[in-house]
Amino acid sequence: MHRQRRGLQPRMGMMSSDVRLTLPASPESVAVIRHVLGAFAVALRLPPDLVEDMRLAVTEACTNVVRHAYQDADPGPIEVVIRPNGDRLDLVVADRGRGLGESADISGPGLGLPLIAALADSVQLDHAPSRGSRVAMSFRCRPRLGVA
Amino acid sequence: MTVSEPATTVSIASGPLVGPILRRVVGMLAARADLPLDRLDDAVLVADLIAARAPAHSVDDKINVALDPGDRSLLLRVGPLRQGGGKALIVDAAVPGVGNVIEQLADELSVTPEGDTEFLHVRLAYSNGR
Repeated sequence: MHRQRRGLQPRMGMMSSDVRLTLPASPESVAVIRHVLGAFAVALRLPPDLVEDMRLAVTEACTNVVRHAYQDADPGPIEVVIRPNGDRLDLVVADRGRGLGESADISGPGLGLPLIAALADSVQLDHAPSRGSRVAMSFRCRPRLGVA
Repeated sequence: MTVSEPATTVSIASGPLVGPILRRVVGMLAARADLPLDRLDDAVLVADLIAARAPAHSVDDKINVALDPGDRSLLLRVGPLRQGGGKALIVDAAVPGVGNVIEQLADELSVTPEGDTEFLHVRLAYSNGR
């Protein structure tokens, strides 16, 4: 999947990110990330519908990492970068796992990536077997970005 | 948390987001570490103090905190800080009429040098005597 509706997104390595989280790729960490997004949304006074879209998209991306990126016996990190960027909010979810492809866990409807693509204003997906995967999402906030 | 799990780290650009983000991460990990409510509250208070005081002592414009939830304990590793920044951060946490809040709340408090920088370690734990 590679979709960009509203211009090129900066690579994560080029960003001077405002918030960077690194957590174990476990289900509990997904809850922490959702909680942090909530704090971010309150501080930036983001509209509730946008916040729900962001939360759902990031939850899907993080759940993909938890379920597919690593072997059960070898848990790795999940990395999340959150960055206000003008009238956009850029979110990156990355791992250092096996990249996209065959996974032992094939249960579920497989709606994660299409759902992310539907919710975000732009999405970029990078992956390589030796470097893990990276989902970069951008959400347009329009005039509402202003720190409380 | 198993030994093999990677650490939880949070890096936040200095500014108004440090407090809201850090207190939530610390609060959730304190809960995961099964700290009782009063100690969870203490952990969040320490997080707020770090968020308020650490930017003045950071080596760059970011606040970096590594968190290690253990068995009814939570270890915070704040830094890299400028030389002398660890001690200065502790001193800055003094509140008139109350004393030094971090010193009073932490079960262990230490500063370790690392090259030209240093790190502040704060450990909060549950104990029946508290």
